[in-house]
Amino acid sequence: MEKNNTYHLLSSILKILKMMTEAGAEIYRVEESAKLIFASYGFENIDVYATTSNIIISVESEESGIKTHTRRIEKISTDIEKIHKLNNLVRTITQTTPDYAFIEKEIEKIENIKKYPTIVNIAFYGIIAGAFYFFFGGRNWLEFIVSLSIGLCTGVLNSFFDKLEFNKILAKFLLSFVAAIIACALKSFSVVSHLEYIMIANIMTLIPGIGLTNSLRDLFAGDSISGVLRLIEAGLSALAIACGYVAASVMF
Amino acid sequence: MFDSVAIIQITASFFGTMGFCFLFNIRGNKLWLAALGGMLSWLLFLSLESIVASEGIRYFLVSVCSTIYAEILARILKTPATTFSIITLIPLVPGGALYHTATFAMSGEATQFLEKLIYTVELALALSLGIVVVTAVFRYTKRFKKV
Repeated sequence: MEKNNTYHLLSSILKILKMMTEAGAEIYRVEESAKLIFASYGFENIDVYATTSNIIISVESEESGIKTHTRRIEKISTDIEKIHKLNNLVRTITQTTPDYAFIEKEIEKIENIKKYPTIVNIAFYGIIAGAFYFFFGGRNWLEFIVSLSIGLCTGVLNSFFDKLEFNKILAKFLLSFVAAIIACALKSFSVVSHLEYIMIANIMTLIPGIGLTNSLRDLFAGDSISGVLRLIEAGLSALAIACGYVAASVMF
Repeated sequence: MFDSVAIIQITASFFGTMGFCFLFNIRGNKLWLAALGGMLSWLLFLSLESIVASEGIRYFLVSVCSTIYAEILARILKTPATTFSIITLIPLVPGGALYHTATFAMSGEATQFLEKLIYTVELALALSLGIVVVTAVFRYTKRFKKV
């Protein structure tokens, strides 16, 4: 393989790994994918070190010598469809070892993958909050509407914070705070009587369930650093949600 | 077999899980299978109520079963198990426990606060352990085949 080729290949594959991590894939999946891909191209001494904040990769081949490359991971969210597509791409690459031009083209396709429109996401914030209102024991249609509307408000605010690239932890605090303020105000005007169900339902939309499970999964898979990073983030999110609620309730 | 409360909960868990599928960008028939998985998780949780007394253990068992569901579907649909494995546990996420923890913290009832805090952590751990155990088994059986 010519020198220039290796350079492009390495760069494209790191792009895949970076996208995987940012879409919320587990660290062992990222590392394993890298090893499989480079092994299928015939590289030797493949060393991959991935965490949730950066990826370092070093490979060796007779033609190109030792190549090392690193990427910083900035923002992790959850995009299951992206992980699914990237996983398929990795499988294709290991089976057919295409050249980098093909890989770049596929990457571009995945980058432009469709997401549900913001308005749909906001609507589902409401639906989640409404569904969990009944789930946790609420039985009143008016309160259901209130819970749903609060969910919609958090959805709107959340997409706004997303656009601003607002600090995640602070965003959780504010979302929980706003939800609690609305709920408490309605309770003090006696519009609703079961604050508990409405609040729990809205906490459900914010709670870092994925972060926590991913963190423990990384921890038990032996990727301690990523596990701890994710665990701290999930813990802080939960704390921020609780604080937001407490701060709002103290005012009433 | 189930009373009206259970039926409402099971229906609500379907819609709640489906909502999260949209937020996490799950598409196509995977969306319905994931939402169905969430509903089945809660159904199993309710069915186990009379058999297993400890809530932590019940959480663990449901987590194990739903992760097996996820791993099997992942094999069939050729997708990472992550697609289903976390989302099907959404109805079991201890949001209520977190709320009560915060409430007790606010009212200054230290003993009850600690109790609820430990309870929340216990449930979260039970859920994650279930996922971890099953994922590990599936990963290593794959490796055994290669060896």
